[in-house]
Amino acid sequence: MIKVGIPRALLYYQYYPMWKTFFEELGAEVVVSSPTTQTMLSSGSSRVVADTCLPVKIFLGHALSLVEKCDYIFIPAIRSVKRKAYNCSKFLGLPDMTKAVIPESPPILDIEIDINKGKHRLYQAIYGLGRHFTWNPFRVRRASLAAWQAHRKYRELMSGQGLTPPQAIARMTGEVEPKASTSTQATIALIGHPYMLYDEHISHCLIHRLEQAHNKVLTPEMLTTEELESATARLVGKAHWTYENEVVGAGGHYLETGADGVIGLMTFGCGPDSQMMDMVRRRAARLRATTFMSLTLDEHTTEGGVVTRLEAFLDMINRRKRRQVEVCV
Amino acid sequence: MRVGTSHLGNISIMIKAWAQRLGGNLILPPVNNQRTLSLGVKYSPEGLCLPFKLTLGNLIEACELGADTLIITGGDGICRLGYYAKTQEQILRELGYNFEIIQLSLSGQKLFGLLKLMKRLSNNASWFKIISALRFGIVKQFAIDKIERVVQKVRAVEQIKGTANRLYAKAIQAIDNADNYNTLKRVQRDYTDQLNHVAKDTQAKPLIVGIIGEFYVTLEPFANQNIESELGKLGVEVRRRTFISTWTKFSFFFNSLGLDEKSKIHKAALPYLKRDVGGDGWETVGEKVLHAKEYDGLVHLAPFTCMPEIVAQNIMPSTKENIPVLTILCDEQMNRTGMLTRLEAFVDLLKSRRRARNNNQHRGS
Repeated sequence: MIKVGIPRALLYYQYYPMWKTFFEELGAEVVVSSPTTQTMLSSGSSRVVADTCLPVKIFLGHALSLVEKCDYIFIPAIRSVKRKAYNCSKFLGLPDMTKAVIPESPPILDIEIDINKGKHRLYQAIYGLGRHFTWNPFRVRRASLAAWQAHRKYRELMSGQGLTPPQAIARMTGEVEPKASTSTQATIALIGHPYMLYDEHISHCLIHRLEQAHNKVLTPEMLTTEELESATARLVGKAHWTYENEVVGAGGHYLETGADGVIGLMTFGCGPDSQMMDMVRRRAARLRATTFMSLTLDEHTTEGGVVTRLEAFLDMINRRKRRQVEVCV
Repeated sequence: MRVGTSHLGNISIMIKAWAQRLGGNLILPPVNNQRTLSLGVKYSPEGLCLPFKLTLGNLIEACELGADTLIITGGDGICRLGYYAKTQEQILRELGYNFEIIQLSLSGQKLFGLLKLMKRLSNNASWFKIISALRFGIVKQFAIDKIERVVQKVRAVEQIKGTANRLYAKAIQAIDNADNYNTLKRVQRDYTDQLNHVAKDTQAKPLIVGIIGEFYVTLEPFANQNIESELGKLGVEVRRRTFISTWTKFSFFFNSLGLDEKSKIHKAALPYLKRDVGGDGWETVGEKVLHAKEYDGLVHLAPFTCMPEIVAQNIMPSTKENIPVLTILCDEQMNRTGMLTRLEAFVDLLKSRRRARNNNQHRGS
C-alpha cells in the first residue's frame, strides 16, 4: 500500500480529517508525524535561514521526521480558498521550499488550490492529485466527496459542540479524547492560528495551563463562520488573507462578548499577524471592556516567561471580577 | 486640495512634473531622513517591514506640512503591501490628522485608474492636458533612469571616486528643473556626455554584481544605505533590472498588451519555484538562475521579515546554477559599517573567484 505522510503542523489542524479521508478512499495509508518535539524544532531550524517563522521551521521538522517513513509527503500550496483573499507567501512556497531544503525527501504531492481561477481548475488540480493513486476519475470524485463530508462533520463538531481541533480529530478517528475541563473561574478566549494554539510545544501547553487554573477556554473554532466573518467585517472591512478570520474575527467577537479576557498568540515575524493582531490590540484599547494580552512567541521563548505573564494576566482578570462583584453588592 | 504622498527612490520627480503641468497642489514630504524613519518606527506595529515604516514616516511628515489628501499605494497582492493603506490610515487617524484617503491599487486599476485619479486631483482638467502631463512625467523618469544606468558603469572605473555621484545629483536637479522636452533632451545629452568623459581607469575590468530583491529597498537608497554607490567605490559595476521607468512602462502599457518582461524570469525560476509567492520572491529566484552565467555575484536586498523574500532566500541555495549571493536584510537597526564590512568581504571573495577562474583558463589553453 502506498504510504502518504502528512506533517502534523500548519494546515493539518484545519484539514486533517478531509485529507485523511481522501487518501484512504483512494486506497493509500496515511502516516502522520508525532507531536512536536524539541528535536524536530532544532532539525527544522537547522535547514532554513534564521528569520523564517517558527511554524514553518516546525513544519520542516515534521517533514524531516517523515522522510524514511512514507512514499509521498503531502504538502498542498493553498493560495486561496475564498475569492480575493490570499494566503501568506510561505504557504504558497511551502512545497518548493521543502524540496529545496530537504533534498532527501520522498516525492512531494503538490496541489495548488486557488478558488480565483475557477472551479474547473480546482477539479483539475484534485484529479491531478488523485492520479497518483488511480486512473479512474470517478473514484477520485467519490473520494473527494467523502473528504468534503468529513470536513463538514469536522467543522460541525467544533463550532456546534465546542470541541477543539485535537478533540474533534480524536473523536473522528476514535482515539482517546483529551478531556475537557468543567470548572469555570473566568472565561479566557485564545485567538491565533490553530497551528499555534494546539501545538503544545509552541504554545507551552497554554490551554492546559489555563484549564488547570480553573478557567474556561474559548478558541476561534468554536465560533461559526458567519460570526467570524461579521466580526472581521466590523473590525477591518474586507479580509485580505485567508486564515486571518481566526485572529481578527475571533478577536473582534470575543472582545465584544463572551469572554473576561482575550489572549492573542502570534509568532515573531508573521507577516499577516503583525498587522492583524495590531488591529485587535487597537480595538481592545478603544473598547476598554475586555482585558487583552498579546504573546509573541519564537523558538527562544522560555516557559518561565510565558508562565509569569500568564499568571499576572489571570490575577488582573480575577481582581477585576472581584471589584465588579463588590460594586454590585 | 493639498495632496501628499510618499517617496520611492526618485519617483518624486515624475510626480512633481505631473503636478506642475496640471496645476495641482502637491505637498512632497522631505526626502527620507533619520526623522522620517524615527517617526515611522515610533508609530508602526513593531513587526512590520521597513517599507511600511518609511512610507508611514513620509505620510506623517506630509500631514505636518498640511496635506489634506493622501495617496497610499496598495494592491491585491499576497504580501503585506495589500494591507498597508488600511493600517496606515488607522494609525494616522489615531494621531489626530484629518485627511481624505485615496487608495491607488497598482495591480488592479492600471493606467486608467491613474488617469482617472489625475483627472480628479487636477479639478477636471482636459484629457489632453492630463495625457500630455503624464507623458512629460514619464519621459523625465526615463531620462533619469538612463543617466543612472551610465552612472552605475562610471562609478566602478572613475579615477576620482565620487565624480559620477556628483554629476548624477546635478543631473537630477537639472531634469527636475527642465520644463519642456527640448531642455530635457539637452540636459540628458549634456550629462551623458560629461559622464562619458570622466577620467577613467581604462585598464580596469570591474566585477559585475547584480542587485536583486524586493522592489522598495532596491530602489530607495535611504533604505539600503546607498549600497550601489558603496559598491561603486569598491570598483564594482552594478546592474539591476528594477527601474521605475521600466516598471511604469510594463505595468501601465505593455502588460495590458500581453507583453511581460517577467515571463522569461518566471520561466527560469520554474524548476525551483513553481508559482508566484507574492512581492518579488518569484523574480528573485528567477534572476539568480538567469544571471548565474553573466554576473560575478549577486546582492539580494530584502526588508527584514519580508515573507516572499524569505521563501526566495530559502530556495536560492539549492539551484543548480551557481553564483555567490549576499543577502542583506534592511531594517531600522541596519548600520552602515556592518554593511560595508560585509560588502568588502563579498567583493574580496568575488575577486578571488575570478582570479581562480582566469588561472584555470590559462592552464586549459
